[in-house]
Amino acid sequence: MQPKRVLVALAGTSADPDVIRLVAPIAKSARANVMGIHVIEVRWNLPLDAVMEAELDRGEQLLESAKKVAEQAGFSLETELLQAREAAAAIIDTAVERKCDLIVVAMPFRKRLGRVYIGRTVQNVYVNAPCAVLAYRQEQNA
Amino acid sequence: MSGEEPQQQQEDETPPSLERRVTRAGRHVGDRYVRIVRPIGSGLRGHGGRYVATEQTMAATGTVGRAWQGLSAFLIGKRLHSDAEADERIGVETGLPILASDNISSSAYATEEAMRILAIAGTGALVLTMPIALAVVFVLAIVVLSESRVIRAYPNGGGSYLVARENHGVIAGLVAASALLIDYVLTVSVSTAAGVAAISSFAPEIHPYRVPIGLALIALLAIGNLRGVREAGVAFAAPTYAYIIGMGAMILIGLGRWYVGVVPPIAQPPHPFDPAGTAPLTILLVLRAFASGSVGLTGSEAVANGVPSFKKPEARNAVITLVLMGSIFATLFLGLTFLATQFGIRPDADEIETVNSMLTRTVVGATSPLYFIVQFSTAIILLLAANTGFTGFPRLASVLANDRFMPRHFADMGSRLAFNTGIVVLGILAAIILTAFGGSVNALVPLYTIGVFLAFTLSQSGLVRRWWRLRNPGWRVSILINAIGTVVTGTVLVVVAVTKFQLGAWMVLLLLPLIVALLYSINRHYTNVQDALVISGGEQRLPTLGAPVVIVPVARIDRAAMQALAFARSVSPNLKAVHISLSTEGAADFQRRWERLGSDIPLDIVESPFRSLLAPLLKYIDAIDKSDDRPITVVLSEFVPRHWWEWFLHSQTAMRLKASLLFRPNTIVIDVPYHSHDTGDLGPRPG
Repeated sequence: MQPKRVLVALAGTSADPDVIRLVAPIAKSARANVMGIHVIEVRWNLPLDAVMEAELDRGEQLLESAKKVAEQAGFSLETELLQAREAAAAIIDTAVERKCDLIVVAMPFRKRLGRVYIGRTVQNVYVNAPCAVLAYRQEQNA
Repeated sequence: MSGEEPQQQQEDETPPSLERRVTRAGRHVGDRYVRIVRPIGSGLRGHGGRYVATEQTMAATGTVGRAWQGLSAFLIGKRLHSDAEADERIGVETGLPILASDNISSSAYATEEAMRILAIAGTGALVLTMPIALAVVFVLAIVVLSESRVIRAYPNGGGSYLVARENHGVIAGLVAASALLIDYVLTVSVSTAAGVAAISSFAPEIHPYRVPIGLALIALLAIGNLRGVREAGVAFAAPTYAYIIGMGAMILIGLGRWYVGVVPPIAQPPHPFDPAGTAPLTILLVLRAFASGSVGLTGSEAVANGVPSFKKPEARNAVITLVLMGSIFATLFLGLTFLATQFGIRPDADEIETVNSMLTRTVVGATSPLYFIVQFSTAIILLLAANTGFTGFPRLASVLANDRFMPRHFADMGSRLAFNTGIVVLGILAAIILTAFGGSVNALVPLYTIGVFLAFTLSQSGLVRRWWRLRNPGWRVSILINAIGTVVTGTVLVVVAVTKFQLGAWMVLLLLPLIVALLYSINRHYTNVQDALVISGGEQRLPTLGAPVVIVPVARIDRAAMQALAFARSVSPNLKAVHISLSTEGAADFQRRWERLGSDIPLDIVESPFRSLLAPLLKYIDAIDKSDDRPITVVLSEFVPRHWWEWFLHSQTAMRLKASLLFRPNTIVIDVPYHSHDTGDLGPRPG
């Protein structure tokens, strides 16, 4: 598979740099356009376009860091900040709108009730995305 | 009119914003999301019209800019955030080398300066060195006591300038400030010259190069200070303490030898003074020796001026530093003077070897490691004494700039929270003086001390007035201390001024009123500017202006001219293009081409048979201005070449016209640049 448009969902976890480096060979070999997005989830008691300063700052910083990691890895990363009620829906909609053929999601290694916990965003993207999805789970001791 | 036009117009009228929010529907009901388009990569953080520049914003983009930023980071360090100002403050242990090194280092040459004057009257007159040293230490004790009162009364710093201004008036404040500014410049010159002299004492071959070496050292100190006060202090702490310990050890060994009566062979100066003397020993000569010895009192005002540099509690830390400084100076100065007079050390007429070098050579021997430690640390501390000037001058200049007596740049903090303009200006002035006096300590010292004692006297007398006015609890003790301080420092001032007048003090006395007048005139300028610019209560509304008269000079019909004309038309409908033609044929040709263009913009053509472009154009603008009351706006099209060296291939008429119009009243100049690599126009860009 030679994806031409790749969407990387960045959650601001320690897995973000790993997933950008993971995408680097794909981006370079296929000369793919890579877009990194971060979705700020807005609680239902707030309007969808509410200005959440701390989250905006955090989102901006993690996108800037992602850009730097991508530059070091040798490819250019376009970035976008979104606000949505549910991150998975916004990720999928953006992928559809941008005609992406691959979504890359990352998750740090977490356990709940003795089992690896994937989280609802990764799970929803995995289940509902119309394009290919690559899910990266960080190693246990990262 | 099509339906898209109002929407386009609405978009055109939207004010520019760093954040744009676009709501998207999503594929399912309830999947709406907001796309936030923000300036990622600019480093600007914030929301809703309030943004903060971050370190990323400050990063240079071009190759030259990045290279300059890299060099600057290498030389003076990484840019500091304003919040780091508190971390840049100093404690007592760092304050001592930064603010007291000038005073402490004076012990390295104060004895010699007094001896050099006494030696004129012959070797026998040198016995008066010790009584003179005691008198200097007595004055220092008064000064330290009085300055501690200044610190407590003015914990926000400002020192003598602030005390004199508040209690004697603006002129007295400016006199104190000018005196201190002169003194700080001289501190750098004298200390650097003395530092080089100390090095040349054990390496005489560098003596002919003392000026270039001094200049290099001033540059080094300036760079060190541009790195910030704290870093400079950390770098300079070790040599200061090495000097105190090394000199203290030498004095103890010397005292031990003197006590047990084992006096080693006395080191002789390479070129001694005439033992019989060349002048009689008069009161004036003794006073001159005292005046020269009191060079050791310089630098004691730096602590009071630099109180805000200290960590909290600022005043307490400053007073502790002041007392430590006075005690260390007195101990070293008296110890050195005592040993020099007891061992019969004589000064060198040619200033090649210092008295301290000869004394140390006598006490510990020329091959002893302690000799090299003492000489080397002396050289370093004398250089660091120059650092007191670098600490004091920029801070005082910033206080004066905030009070609008000096240009505003002096109040601006640089990338390392240092007052860069003050540091650079001080370095340049000190370098000029060092060069002018050939790097000679002896030639520079007469200029010194007047400024310090003038500032001391003004601040002490100012405090007397303050205590008298306020009459706080304990005012009687305070007024007594400062009254004694006034009398003592005033007396020293008169002695120094009289005895050193012919030797060069006249220059300082001449310079003082000139600097006061300069500072005063700067303040008058700023006051006038403020009067002209300040908005009164009734004017706090934006005035409504009519469309201006716009003139577009057009040299030829090309892309650059088209952009300028298009832009001018968007500014005002009262538009006129003007072409200066060097010949009648050229004018006719241009007229034809303009008509072919089919533009509705009226054109005036001015023929210039004397081949000048600027003069007819400026006269044309004048003539239009006289015939019309509306403000004139000149829109210039300027071609910007891709590389800097390509500038020389173009006549830069727009640049010259801009320069000519800059000071023209009632004229707005708008520059429409056209970049050689810019293939687009000024219209809306896609995306």
